[in-house]
Amino acid sequence: MLDDVIDFLEPYTYLIIGSVKALIIAGALLGIVPALVWLERRLMGRFQVRLGPNRVGPFGLGQPISDSIKLLFKESIIQSSADKFLFHLAPAIVVFTAIVAFAVIPFGEPITVFGQEIGLWAANVDIGLLFVFAISGMGVYGMVLAGISSNNKYSLMGGLRSSAQMISYELTLGLAALSIIVLTGSLNLIDMVNSQNSYPNILIQPLAFLLFFIAGVAETNRAPFDLPEAEQELVAGFHTEYTGMKFAMFFMGEYINMVTMSALVTLLFLGGWNAYGIPVWPIIAFSGKVFFLLFVFIWLRSTFPRIRYDRLMTFGWKVLVPLSLLNLLITSVFVVL
Amino acid sequence: MLEFDLFELTKATVTLLVGLTAVLASLGVILCSSPIYCALYLIGHMICLALLFLLYNAEFIAAVQIIVYAGAVMILFLFIIALLGGKKEVQEPSLERSLAVLFVATMLGELFLSATVGSTKPIEGGFDVETVAEVGGSAKAIGLELFSRHLVSFELASVLLLVAAIGIICLSKFSYIPVRRRMK
Repeated sequence: MLDDVIDFLEPYTYLIIGSVKALIIAGALLGIVPALVWLERRLMGRFQVRLGPNRVGPFGLGQPISDSIKLLFKESIIQSSADKFLFHLAPAIVVFTAIVAFAVIPFGEPITVFGQEIGLWAANVDIGLLFVFAISGMGVYGMVLAGISSNNKYSLMGGLRSSAQMISYELTLGLAALSIIVLTGSLNLIDMVNSQNSYPNILIQPLAFLLFFIAGVAETNRAPFDLPEAEQELVAGFHTEYTGMKFAMFFMGEYINMVTMSALVTLLFLGGWNAYGIPVWPIIAFSGKVFFLLFVFIWLRSTFPRIRYDRLMTFGWKVLVPLSLLNLLITSVFVVL
Repeated sequence: MLEFDLFELTKATVTLLVGLTAVLASLGVILCSSPIYCALYLIGHMICLALLFLLYNAEFIAAVQIIVYAGAVMILFLFIIALLGGKKEVQEPSLERSLAVLFVATMLGELFLSATVGSTKPIEGGFDVETVAEVGGSAKAIGLELFSRHLVSFELASVLLLVAAIGIICLSKFSYIPVRRRMK
């Protein structure tokens, strides 16, 4: 009986492995969110010379758990003027796109388990980088729809701001990544990491790294570019009307996007899982770099004030885009010559 | 033991379902009365098209379809609908409506006729799955084709787009008469 089942399943091993990997990655991403929230609150406390959460459990580690339970059991309020369907759809889109975009991120060399070679990625697609851009670009819809469906002028302003900001900075993000694509000659993220075996790309493309990181911070709506949810002007931006778990889902999306963006920067510019002589496992090297970038994300938030909206747009279109075009031009000339 | 090929069967089913969803979504675009939902149906339609491209191994086109149309163009549509405040339109019969219905019916009839008269033929080109894999991915294959055989038309199209972009900036930014007044 068992042999029959195994015989039947034999040709579909890759399907089973794929599903297990997808489950593990999705679970890990969702699990990382409370940890990141805890990290952010603790670090922000340190940066601002205060204590941060330290009452629930050792070092306040129980705080994210109690917060999640609180959010899960809170009453979900929908105002009667809202568009019910879109109101429910918006947070789902945000979380869905955030998790799916991570599917093509590789985080280590293939390992061998029970004679099966298993790659440490959910999917190895030829157009890896484009896939991430495509899916994370769809995440804007979550914010825009949240803004429109809430039927509230602050939410609408937040939604409009987020879409304008993300479209503007996506350009810089793509152009900065394009210079790395030109260098590597491939859209595949694994090829990109393998091409950085001897030295990371940041050494030869420091400007592209800077542009990509700045645009990445703007893309994830993090401070100092958190205009869509500017508390002082817009109450809370596009998620003003949300309560309970739906409110938390926007934050889940934001934190997962932060992880994805850090992973992308690591893969494109910091050499992925190459440790450059330091004797650690590839996956540890990769997570170390991602963790450091997440730390920088939080560091930025507690250091810089929010910039004004027109300055944000001017900065994006008149400084970042020309610079990234110039960088792309110079890189292409060097590659051709 | 089961005889059929599970992979092919699944692929055929998924293709059929995605195609059906695409048709339903495009119907939703023209039949829905709320502009926001029309735009959403259009986005759904574009995602279905991208999925169809994916199912036929055209990864690059699928990604570009999502980035350009679903990611950038439709966001602007939603943007404008949100700013103008999408009101539900009132459905009432009029001469224009009956004319439009007649027009659509004629078009559908033509489509049906052309589908029955001549069977659809596959497009003949230099690329199939093997040659694409040999070149090294669909992105590379498209790049090679676009920048060798179609270089002139590609560059002409890009110049056309540039002219359109500059034209839009001129039209929206400067009005012609005040500039002349200042020159006096």
